[in-house]
Amino acid sequence: MSSVQPIPRIALTWLLVAQVLVILPHLLHLPPWIIGLWLFCAGWRIQVFRMRATYPGTLVRVGLLLATAAGVFLSRGSLIGLDAGVLLLVATFILKLLEMRSRRDALVLIFLGFFVVVTAYLFDDSLLAALYSLLPVTALLAALIGLQQSGVAVQPRATLKLAVTLQLQALPLMLLLFVFFPRLGPLWSLPNPNKAFTGLSDSMAPADIAELSRSDALAFRASFSSPMPERSELYWRALTLEHFDGRRWSQSAGAKQIGGADWRKQGPALDYSIVMQPSGKPWLFALDVGLSNQDGVRQMSDFRLENRQPVVQNLLYQVSSWPQALRQVELPPAVARRALQLPEQGDPRSRAWAEELRSQHGQDQALVAALLQHFNREPYGYTLKPPPVGADSIDEFLFRTRKGFCAHYAGAMTFVLRAAGIPARVVAGYQGGELNPAGNYLSVRQFDAHAWVEYWQDGKGWISVDPTFQVAPERIELGLEQALAEEQSFLEESPLSLLRYRDVGWLNDLRLTWDNINYGWQRWVLGYRGEQQLHLLQRWFGTLDWQRLALALVGGGGVLLGLVALWLFKPWRRERDPQQRLLRGFERALARHAVIRQRGEGMRAFAHRAARELPVQAAAIQAFARIYEAQRYAGQPSAPDELRAALRQLRRMLPWRKSPGA
Amino acid sequence: MRERGQARWRNWVARRIPPAAQVQLNQRRIFIMPNRVGAAFGLMLFLLLLAAINYENSLAYGLTFVLAAVFIVAILHTYRNFTGLVLKAGSSGAVFVGEQARFRVRLESVGSPHHAVGLGWPQGELQTLDVPENGQRECELSLPATRRGWLRPGRLRVESRFPLGLLVAWSWVDLDQAVLVYPKPLAGDLPLAAGAGQDEEDEGSRASGQGADDYQGLKTYQPGDSKRRLHWKAYSRGQGLLVKDFAALAGRDLWLDFLAIGGDPEARLSLLCHWVLQLDDRQQPYGLRLPGSELAPDYGDAHREACLRALALYGVAA
Repeated sequence: MSSVQPIPRIALTWLLVAQVLVILPHLLHLPPWIIGLWLFCAGWRIQVFRMRATYPGTLVRVGLLLATAAGVFLSRGSLIGLDAGVLLLVATFILKLLEMRSRRDALVLIFLGFFVVVTAYLFDDSLLAALYSLLPVTALLAALIGLQQSGVAVQPRATLKLAVTLQLQALPLMLLLFVFFPRLGPLWSLPNPNKAFTGLSDSMAPADIAELSRSDALAFRASFSSPMPERSELYWRALTLEHFDGRRWSQSAGAKQIGGADWRKQGPALDYSIVMQPSGKPWLFALDVGLSNQDGVRQMSDFRLENRQPVVQNLLYQVSSWPQALRQVELPPAVARRALQLPEQGDPRSRAWAEELRSQHGQDQALVAALLQHFNREPYGYTLKPPPVGADSIDEFLFRTRKGFCAHYAGAMTFVLRAAGIPARVVAGYQGGELNPAGNYLSVRQFDAHAWVEYWQDGKGWISVDPTFQVAPERIELGLEQALAEEQSFLEESPLSLLRYRDVGWLNDLRLTWDNINYGWQRWVLGYRGEQQLHLLQRWFGTLDWQRLALALVGGGGVLLGLVALWLFKPWRRERDPQQRLLRGFERALARHAVIRQRGEGMRAFAHRAARELPVQAAAIQAFARIYEAQRYAGQPSAPDELRAALRQLRRMLPWRKSPGA
Repeated sequence: MRERGQARWRNWVARRIPPAAQVQLNQRRIFIMPNRVGAAFGLMLFLLLLAAINYENSLAYGLTFVLAAVFIVAILHTYRNFTGLVLKAGSSGAVFVGEQARFRVRLESVGSPHHAVGLGWPQGELQTLDVPENGQRECELSLPATRRGWLRPGRLRVESRFPLGLLVAWSWVDLDQAVLVYPKPLAGDLPLAAGAGQDEEDEGSRASGQGADDYQGLKTYQPGDSKRRLHWKAYSRGQGLLVKDFAALAGRDLWLDFLAIGGDPEARLSLLCHWVLQLDDRQQPYGLRLPGSELAPDYGDAHREACLRALALYGVAA
């Protein structure tokens, strides 16, 4: 076959439709000039098809290519890396339109299209994105069908139907492959898309957490297999901030050490699993001190959990926590030094106040209690809009403004404790979460971000305290929305957020159901990787070896393919010769009256005998036989209508069963 | 080595799909394989799988598996589109050397339709056509006639890539068709065996029916009679189809004799062919003598066919 077969008009149409559908989800992260490029190339290609323009010459093509490469470089600052790569891929996908002359070029375009669909998954793999991608995939398959020289290919509806049918029939096989195909770890590491993540960062100025509180983006979801703790006990630890520079709290290098911290399990354990949204950061979330036997998850020297790689896609992990565990009864000197660090200068009033407290309370515990009481008694306020503070931020907050967010309280308390000689650190994480009654799991969002304090006490190790609880207990017990009820600042910048309409019953139910579906999607589809797969397959098959897996895959595939084949070929309608099929019907009709055709009995002889035995129907029997013989042996037109009519006539004359008296 | 392999392949195919005037495609006769597009598709699937593995992206796995499963299901579709198709040899008329021999093939569907079925000789382009459900389509395949005698085309290639073009189902079918190829007519003078004068070439007088031949009257038309001798006036008067009957005068028989001409046998046959056509055109009776056979002087379509056939098959093993 020659390779310069022209592209049928219908295939070109399908390709253009498919291109729009393929590119659409990329527009969220691609520069807008890509739309212009597509319109330009598609317009040109259509003009070529209408014979109003010619294909661009080499010079124009090279110019376009260079201009596009320059555009990619300007937009991405590089020509390599995933983001620039995807942009280049999409641009190539578009530019290829201008040199699409033959069927082979169209095929290249279709194959490129499938790649572009896959790259879209790297940026968004939500359920909606997955469902949406069925559209471009169907359009690409339709374009493939449109390249065929058949009457079906020129009917858009028939083509679409065929493309959908193919996918539906492929679905069971696809599911089988999805479940059983072994998930390998990455063969080589690839760059990930530079997505903008919201979430905690490894340093905290008081305003940062207030910033997070404006976002209703999901941070993670948690399902408990043990009883769920009270809301006020849900302190999701993410990281500890030990270094204070007078303004910001940040993670110290020492906290980045792996393991080594001594702790003792105590009390009952909590078992739960967490599906985390991509954060772009390595740290994970767990209640108090937790352990996970997940591959790549480890406990750090400050008891938090960390993943080996930054979490750039949904991550499912199992954790067990011991809220009553004893942590570091013996404080290593290096840790003590870090937990007592303060800037050389600044905040003199706070330091003086710490000394005063120290002199009043000999015991650390009493000092902490006095400090908490201070927050409780004095007119401190909880607000998302704290007044600005100057250079001595702790002093100004504690003694002047007295209005702040959890980060203000946690930072100030840690500062005072350290100044009083008690090792302390700020813990950043999330507090609370919304219970989804349908799925019995917690959704924790960015506005649940929280900061609290842990201090070290001789003989008891690290102890968590939350100064915010003294100021705004409703924040801990009910959540941010209640805490801000008076201020009315909850999500005030996102008027469309469904979370703002939690009091509208049906809307809230709808939101929770949708959230539950998404959670299932993350757990069972997106999170279906190495361990999850092993876990599931082990539950189904007990012990697991690759032989069994391969057998299940091949055997199951064979069965499913057989079913599709049955559906397609309908072998029960095997007799494809309509005359033969009607003859079988004729024989069956007579057999019900005990007139059975003998082996080797010719049509004519059989009909004579049948006519003798069933004299009432003789005419109809003979008529059928006559037409059959004429069609079969006299070469008369083989349209089966006449024969079918004769059989129907005979059936009408025959009683359904042989009556006993007959 | 290669030739022997090809011969064995031909034998194998001949045993599996013996020549017949009617062939229904079934599992014994259908071969199915991914074609080059299918191979490229497979390569694309592999690359998609690599992306899925390296990004540990479930949706990329999902799309890869959907397309792989579509590929597998497409095997069934391609096969279904092809199986059950009936090919029947149609009638094909004789041609002269140098013309295109036309072979008619009828494609019939018993039951489901067949889309984009390609049909043709292996070396050439395939014709593509759709066969509707329980319907039929006819197509004409041509092959240059280069030698006189029987022209038997090789096996026909029938194929289908529908629906996705990733797989090709094909079969080699021998419909046992043959076309008779007459020699190429070659104009030239003929030494006539019996007194045909040059003066008798006057077309005008012959057309008016006043020739040297004897007009004997009218007789009823029978198939095979020359249509040019139809008595149209009688037909228009409602007397039915009548032909004007002539009898050649004895002693004026015209003989075309192979042995009377000199030169290369093929050239002689070509010359004889030319004269058969010329004489037939003039409605003049003629006889044909070939070494080993003789056709008595006569005229008419049947006679002409017999003469041309004798010329075509002269010296050729039938």
